[in-house]
Amino acid sequence: MTQVSSEPLTPELVRSAAFPPARLGRRGLDEAQVHAFCGWVSDEVARMLNDNIMLQEEVLRLRGRLLDRSAKPGARPEDSHVQAVYVLSKAQQTADRCVADAQEYSREIAQDARMRHEEILREAKVRASVILEEAHASASQAAGAVRDTGESLSAAERQELRAEIAYLRTFSDVCRTHLRAYMESLTRSIEQWERAEHESASAARASVRHSAHQVPAQPIGH
Amino acid sequence: MDELRLKESFARVAAHGDEVALFFYSHLFLSHPELREMFPVSMADQRDRLLKALGQIVADVSNHEALVPYLGGLGRDHRKFGTLAEHYPAVGASLLATLAHFSGLGWTEDLARDWTEAYTVIAQVMTEAAAEDESRNPPWWGATVAGHERRTMDITVIKVVPDVPFSYVPGQSVAVESEARPRLWRFYSMANAPRLDATIDFHVRAIDGGPVSSALARSITVGSRLRLGAPVGTLRLNMASRRDVLLAGGSTGLAPLKAMIEQAADLAEPPRTHLVFGARTAAGLYDLADLEKMAAQWSWLTVTPAVSAEPDYQGETGTVADVISRQAPVGDHDTYVCGSSAMVTATVSRLQSLGVPHDHIYVEDYGWSES
Repeated sequence: MTQVSSEPLTPELVRSAAFPPARLGRRGLDEAQVHAFCGWVSDEVARMLNDNIMLQEEVLRLRGRLLDRSAKPGARPEDSHVQAVYVLSKAQQTADRCVADAQEYSREIAQDARMRHEEILREAKVRASVILEEAHASASQAAGAVRDTGESLSAAERQELRAEIAYLRTFSDVCRTHLRAYMESLTRSIEQWERAEHESASAARASVRHSAHQVPAQPIGH
Repeated sequence: MDELRLKESFARVAAHGDEVALFFYSHLFLSHPELREMFPVSMADQRDRLLKALGQIVADVSNHEALVPYLGGLGRDHRKFGTLAEHYPAVGASLLATLAHFSGLGWTEDLARDWTEAYTVIAQVMTEAAAEDESRNPPWWGATVAGHERRTMDITVIKVVPDVPFSYVPGQSVAVESEARPRLWRFYSMANAPRLDATIDFHVRAIDGGPVSSALARSITVGSRLRLGAPVGTLRLNMASRRDVLLAGGSTGLAPLKAMIEQAADLAEPPRTHLVFGARTAAGLYDLADLEKMAAQWSWLTVTPAVSAEPDYQGETGTVADVISRQAPVGDHDTYVCGSSAMVTATVSRLQSLGVPHDHIYVEDYGWSES
């Protein structure tokens, strides 16, 4: 009798299972044989259940792959599109940072230039008022001298005063020229950083275009 | 459409902040690379604007009286960016993909339907408003710079000639884009009443680090090309009022007020008008010569310059608000205030403490702060 064997469990084997009568003095079938048979059936059913689960997983996996293929050509397009979105986002953030840095730099320089501009103007104003005061003082001194000497101001003294007035005029012209030169050099430096700012902005723009082109354009799909 | 469900779904997505707009634009540009050219290099401000607009739309989704005009304005406004009706489905697809991505497992068929429905309505209102506007106005007005007068280190008065004359009300402003800074639009007030030769003045103040204002104030020259959007803004002279007028202008906040003075000059009986024009330094009173000429010509106009950061200035010193306090009572005046945020806030609160009723105060806030 072959109830317990290494062969796979089949419905036929279960149905045709035969058990010898129990030993003398006992009723029914041989208990040990029945137990052994049940153990074998149980093991086989457990193995089949395991196989079944594994197969189901395999089916799901294959079905999923099949669906992906039929919906969109190419391997897993959704994933690669999301990847591309992230790559482009990174590039965009880099560009944003470049532009923000350039703007911050230009802001600092502009602020600095304004402060220097105001400082120079303030200094120039102070100097101008000193010069003006000096001129006033010399003028009133000269006038005093004229009053003191009355009509009797000598030609030589008159000459001297004229020379002083001419000197003061020249001095004031020189001051004005200096001031103008200050302002012009300031304007020039402003123009320089404007150009620099413009160039860095173009560079940033170029770098954005560049990175945008590096993103694989193929797996878009929508 | 379940409006509550929509709001909840947006709140969950919006919690991801800037990431959401970043994903949206990247998705849009990957799907439609040709749209990238419509946007500036830096997208940081753009993302901010998108999230704010979406937030506004979702907040008002049940309030059609507010939502429809807002969307209509948005639709008209987008014409100058080159937005066409066929761009809307592309934006909708990327918007839905973005919402789905950030909703994760919470993305259901019901939600997808809600959002599709909502976006369809949004796009419809926007495109209809744009189409209606198209029959009356071009998407933008091209203009050539005819004058570029640098008045101070920071302030330049620009005169432009639009290719086609366009009508506006003094006090209004337009978005301006320069070819030197493509895709960046900033608002500037027209500084004159409409003229027979259609020329327009803009008073441009270069903001430190501001790409557009710096370019307009310093880089562009006579002959440069600009693009102007449609005139907008609610600041305008109350013509029905018989009250005296007080104008308070801080720096280039003078521009719309000057246009309003010119408008008043055309009235049969101009209101008695007092302009207080403030700046930090005397040099910053960039348009004083012109204003004094106007005051000499028109007996109904008084101009008071005010300088806040030069104690030895030979004239009124202090802020515009200080000078107004010191001058004649203003309680029964129509008051118009324009300038930096700080100047507008300070002046408005002073006017209120001087007894000017809330509805007699008209304001334009330029947003920048004076350094």
